[in-house]
Amino acid sequence: MSTRLRILGGTVHDPANGVDGEVRDICIEDGHIVADLPGGAPTLDARGMIVMAGGVDIHSHLASSSCNHARRLLPEERSADPAPAPALLDGAASSRSGTGGTVPTTFTSGYRYAGLGYTTVFDAAVAPVMARHSHAELEDTPCVDGGFFALMGNDEYLLRQVAAGEKERARDYAAWLLGATGAYAIKIVNPGGVEAWKSGQRNLSGIDDVLTAHGVTPRAILETLADSANQLQLPHPVHIHCNNLGLPGNVAVTLASMQAMAGRRAHFTHVQFHSYGGPGWSSGAAQVIEYVNSHPELSVDVGQVMFGPATTITADGPVEYLLHKSSGRKWVNIDIELETGCGIVPFQYKDKAAVSALQWAIGLELFLLSRDPWRVVLSTDHPNGGSFLSYPALIQLLMDRSVREERLKQVNPKLLAGSALADGLTREYTLNEVAIITRAGPARLLGLRQKGHLGTGADADVTVYARNADIAQMFATPRYVIKGGTLVVEEGQLRRAPTGRRLHVRPGYDDALLPDLKRYFDAHSTIAFENYPVQGIPDDPLPLRP
Amino acid sequence: MSPDQQVEHVTCLGCGCGCDDISITVRDGRIVDATPACPVGQAWFGDGSAPWEVRLAGKPVGLEDALTEAATLLTKSRGRVLVYLAPDITSQAQRAAVTLADILGAAVDSSTSDAAAGGLLAAQRRGRATATLGEIRNRGDVLLFWGVDPNRRYPRFLSRYALDPAGTQIPNGRAGRFVIAVNIGADKGLAEADLTITLEPSEEVAALSLMRAAVLDHPARDQSPGLTGAIGLIGRLTDARYAVLVHDAEPTDLPRNPLRVEGLIALTQALNGPTRAALSSLRGGGNLAGAESVLTWQTGYPFSVDYSRGYPRYAAGERGLDRLARGAFTAALVVGSSKLDREAAATLGDIPTIVIGPGASQAPFTTRVAIDTGTAGIHEAGTAYRMDEVPLSLRPPLTGQRTAVETLHQLIQAVRTRLPGEKT
Repeated sequence: MSTRLRILGGTVHDPANGVDGEVRDICIEDGHIVADLPGGAPTLDARGMIVMAGGVDIHSHLASSSCNHARRLLPEERSADPAPAPALLDGAASSRSGTGGTVPTTFTSGYRYAGLGYTTVFDAAVAPVMARHSHAELEDTPCVDGGFFALMGNDEYLLRQVAAGEKERARDYAAWLLGATGAYAIKIVNPGGVEAWKSGQRNLSGIDDVLTAHGVTPRAILETLADSANQLQLPHPVHIHCNNLGLPGNVAVTLASMQAMAGRRAHFTHVQFHSYGGPGWSSGAAQVIEYVNSHPELSVDVGQVMFGPATTITADGPVEYLLHKSSGRKWVNIDIELETGCGIVPFQYKDKAAVSALQWAIGLELFLLSRDPWRVVLSTDHPNGGSFLSYPALIQLLMDRSVREERLKQVNPKLLAGSALADGLTREYTLNEVAIITRAGPARLLGLRQKGHLGTGADADVTVYARNADIAQMFATPRYVIKGGTLVVEEGQLRRAPTGRRLHVRPGYDDALLPDLKRYFDAHSTIAFENYPVQGIPDDPLPLRP
Repeated sequence: MSPDQQVEHVTCLGCGCGCDDISITVRDGRIVDATPACPVGQAWFGDGSAPWEVRLAGKPVGLEDALTEAATLLTKSRGRVLVYLAPDITSQAQRAAVTLADILGAAVDSSTSDAAAGGLLAAQRRGRATATLGEIRNRGDVLLFWGVDPNRRYPRFLSRYALDPAGTQIPNGRAGRFVIAVNIGADKGLAEADLTITLEPSEEVAALSLMRAAVLDHPARDQSPGLTGAIGLIGRLTDARYAVLVHDAEPTDLPRNPLRVEGLIALTQALNGPTRAALSSLRGGGNLAGAESVLTWQTGYPFSVDYSRGYPRYAAGERGLDRLARGAFTAALVVGSSKLDREAAATLGDIPTIVIGPGASQAPFTTRVAIDTGTAGIHEAGTAYRMDEVPLSLRPPLTGQRTAVETLHQLIQAVRTRLPGEKT
């Protein structure tokens, strides 16, 4: 296949470069976007079509030991969704079959993400001790560049440093752990709350609650790791899943956590699950998004709930126990030594269920009340709020008010009194705004300078959509998808499945950390310090922020 | 004589404990010491000597000829192949083996079907509450050994994880833990327990059910002494800060009620209401959990998978070896050790069989192709999974003549060139 390609005459939406619906050519050479190509280069006729950079998923669960436990838990949904090997141009034997459902097998995940026009995906929650597993799964996830975030908000060594006020040591440890595991960013899940679950305190609910086993607060964990990420100049700031996920009234702890950042850069994830008024169920979306609107150092992804089957997978062990008890569904809990937890409960969001309808409405309110699309990213917290395959339907809800209002009429209205959505939100996202919330914005927030745009030097990750009055259909079936210069989807069919790149960082740290860390491992870890780091991580680490 | 070489931090796969603190002494290409390996570990490492033969119909041949024959046979049998995963290979080799199964439309099975299928199926119905081994060490203040004494088959489980070591929340080690043994007839719990009760095998499932009911505040009355004793344990368990229930997920010579594991799963889950609790399932040697993990991320199912329709289907109800005995397959590929149980060996000899793995040339059944490779963690680097599904890095103390993973990738290439319509 030629290393050159001219995508001819498409209508380009490249908001990172100020291009909003201009007809122009996009030129590709050796896997990157170039300014021009000599005549005679192969062309792809995109006239009348819409051209965007490949999608970037800032928060998914697709390649982790937790996902694998979820796959194993749900044989019933995968027998209903077999995924034969796609017919690739280089022969059937190079492609792989699998099964789908809410947590597809690895090859199927890669193919389906590419089929949706997404070319970069991050797993948002990997226990560091399980990093080796995630790298193996990512190796088996074709078509997308991938990486993961390392869970640190309940890590024993980290908590000890926070308790001792050793902020520099905490930062050095975070740097070491990112490099040792080949992770991309620092993740916090329910700061202190998972350790509280494991140590018998059950949970923490406010950011100044004290984790008794360690004498630290969520606030101190948040501040320490936010500072670590920023001082280490990581491409992505600390990625925060707040305390009290899914509980009525949790908007208070969400706002308090945002306020605790006090000017620090931070990303708050799946905020839909953290925007509930209380003491009963009501929408707190307006308060949360108003705070984000007025604090440019903060960003969020929404974690939209879509009606239908989901699987909740999280390091937030205590919340999964509550969901198991309230839903009666089967439940996995795995406490992971010295680091974190894991909980899994399958779930169904029903439009006739009042709480599901409220969650759905809150997600839409967050999108529609946001004033800066660059800091509000599209996500369903796949597969927690719904599968990534529901992104096109979500885009349609954002772009088409009539579809949204029709859908609103069908949902249980019981808890929607006073919600902004029920009062009528007229906003419709433009194609350019969709390009921002699905690629340009997340790429910028992730610090991926070569992703999410189509300027010279960018990775040649490009998605071409054929116009369609049915917006969901248009986004569900891109006509062409190009990944790193390789034509992956042609005429709507997956035809090539290149191996993606691994996205990881390796920040520096003070070596004085190592003797203390080795003593800690010798005393408490069941894995030798020398055996802990993952060897052979492919691709060079990405640069830190300048 | 060359000087001794010392290889540190070697991971032992003798049982599922995955101890990675073994110091191996190598002299003249042989392992002469493995410290502090237990007897099971000593047997696992042996002296590291292994055959390095390649055989076709019993006669020595070059590797290329053997791979050509294997690829031809497997391609011809496409759709009617059984791939059997033995446990002593790396997860990298397991991935290659499952790749082959996919492109050959094969059925894949492993010893999981014999040993641990019941527990996996029960966990698919109910979920489970468990923990990695380090959590048992760091938090377990009440340990209950249900019909198992790990000393026999998992000798370092107690010293590394469950009993003796100090933990972050158990600073006094053994003194900080209360230990309960439940004997199920002759299936004895831990001998050195602080409290022992004995149940008749016929009482076991009722006991688990009534214990769970008691945890859920439905105390039973007027039971037999055995059942009363079992229900009486609940106070100990709910008073724990972190209770750990330990059972053996591998079969023993003794008969065992197949409902035991589901009862233990349900009881452990229920204990997480009043306190915290985890069920620890002891698993045997090699990379058993790795095979389940690889199969799950590639197919969605942990064992007994059938690709014959072009996508993975779950065939959990019937073992691959039983299907083989019924004549469902025309060729078999055994990946890993040929030291299978007698039944597997007897069945496999009946159809043309390819063995790629440690000791393939010494298989106790007739092989069409046998290619000796190294053993995971002794001659081969890579990843293996501990019984708690934590992936471990392997540092082989010896270098073999060929690895299972490379041989399998060569076979994949050879098979691909023989499939119709392939461009390579």
